[in-house]
Amino acid sequence: MENSYEETIDKRRVHLRPDTLRDPAPASLHLLPCEVPVNRPTPVGRFFTPAIRLGPDGLEASFRGRSLRGEEVVVPPGFVGYVMTEEKAEVLAKQDDHERQEQELVEPPEALERDCDRFMGATASFSSFTVWGLESIPGPDAKLRGALSWPSLAAAIHAQVPED
Amino acid sequence: MARGADGGDGARVWQHVFLLPEYLKDASKKMKSGLVFVKLANPCSGEGTIYLFNMCLPQLFEIKVFKEKNHSWFINESVQSGGLLHFATPMDPLFLLLHYLIKADKEGKFQPLDQVVMDDMFPDCILLLKLPELEKLLRHVTEEKEVDKKKYYKYSKEKTLKWLEKKVNQTMAALKANKVNVSARVQSTAFFSGGQVSSDKDEDYVRYAHGLISDYIPKQLSDDLSKHLKLPEPPASVRNPPSKKAKLSDEPVMAKEDYTKFNSKDFKTVKKNSKMTAAQKALAKVDKSGMKSIDSFFGAKHVKKK
Repeated sequence: MENSYEETIDKRRVHLRPDTLRDPAPASLHLLPCEVPVNRPTPVGRFFTPAIRLGPDGLEASFRGRSLRGEEVVVPPGFVGYVMTEEKAEVLAKQDDHERQEQELVEPPEALERDCDRFMGATASFSSFTVWGLESIPGPDAKLRGALSWPSLAAAIHAQVPED
Repeated sequence: MARGADGGDGARVWQHVFLLPEYLKDASKKMKSGLVFVKLANPCSGEGTIYLFNMCLPQLFEIKVFKEKNHSWFINESVQSGGLLHFATPMDPLFLLLHYLIKADKEGKFQPLDQVVMDDMFPDCILLLKLPELEKLLRHVTEEKEVDKKKYYKYSKEKTLKWLEKKVNQTMAALKANKVNVSARVQSTAFFSGGQVSSDKDEDYVRYAHGLISDYIPKQLSDDLSKHLKLPEPPASVRNPPSKKAKLSDEPVMAKEDYTKFNSKDFKTVKKNSKMTAAQKALAKVDKSGMKSIDSFFGAKHVKKK
């Protein structure tokens, strides 16, 4: 293929750097039952984690004065959890950068859609995370549990069928 | 333990939480590059959808997003709004190829594959031609001819329906193995009688599996498949997939600022750990036949491109 052609296609792609998948540092993740509308560093280890207790029916914690109940959820077998971030392209115009940040604070970027070439890398990995519910642990029919059963179902949907 | 921020305000960068197949981690040892998120035509809607492509194998993965109102992540020492959880799962590329084969079939002649899989909107579709064992795949859904060592293909509806029927059977087996509850009626009664063994009919399984597969094929083909499987017409009330109807009340049970409004009704009837969300109640009301869209697994419709 011609190089120029490759390049035009690349404009629409987001590359994931495979080397970052090898052994990123483990991260601890908590899925909260509320929306915190910002993305930024926050002293989780100072306020949240030290207050987690093991009660009679799972983990107990509180956030903004509300009581939370949680439990550890393991990543589906055969999968690895990663936290990925975009690597900033070095030649981004200042204004563009500013606009993007504003957009990011308002709404999630549409799942990885960007109109110029970008790179992502894994910054951390996890094999389980803690899911929290308000006052009680999210039950067996919580949406999240349905989603976690998806990989095994997807495997069946997309497995090759035998030929006649 | 602070996260290694990449640059000055790196931690303000959006963090995506992903689940990837383990073997990508092993495969990454040999790769310098080649994992790419690309936009391809969704075989059901035709809209641009993000897929992950491994150029080295090559292999195709679809990306699904768990998205529910009122969630956020704590990731180490940072907070990430949205609470999205992305899944990358292997995808049968035949669904994507089928989209182009059906389109090309309007001309009703045998064509070479590189003339079929062309797309001005989503030029990345040529990546599909790199996939291994393409000829073997295509045998499921096309008639082929060989002239001067070059293969020509033509979409075959008959073969495709047979292939889809196998897909449905395969999916049904997985639904049974995973004990997925395919009957909404059972769900609500089990809820009051302490989780009895469900008495799901086979028809419910077929319909449910048909619904899942329908998310990967055009509407017309889905209707044809339903006839092929001899599924009875669903009652009028469930013509629209339930996941769409339920959206209106798709808010999980949440405390408002006013504590007196805290779902006291739910508290009386609910045993610990088996609370039905408002969405599920709505689902149990409207969905009497179990046809499911994949979206029901993920809590929301996919974000559409502006």
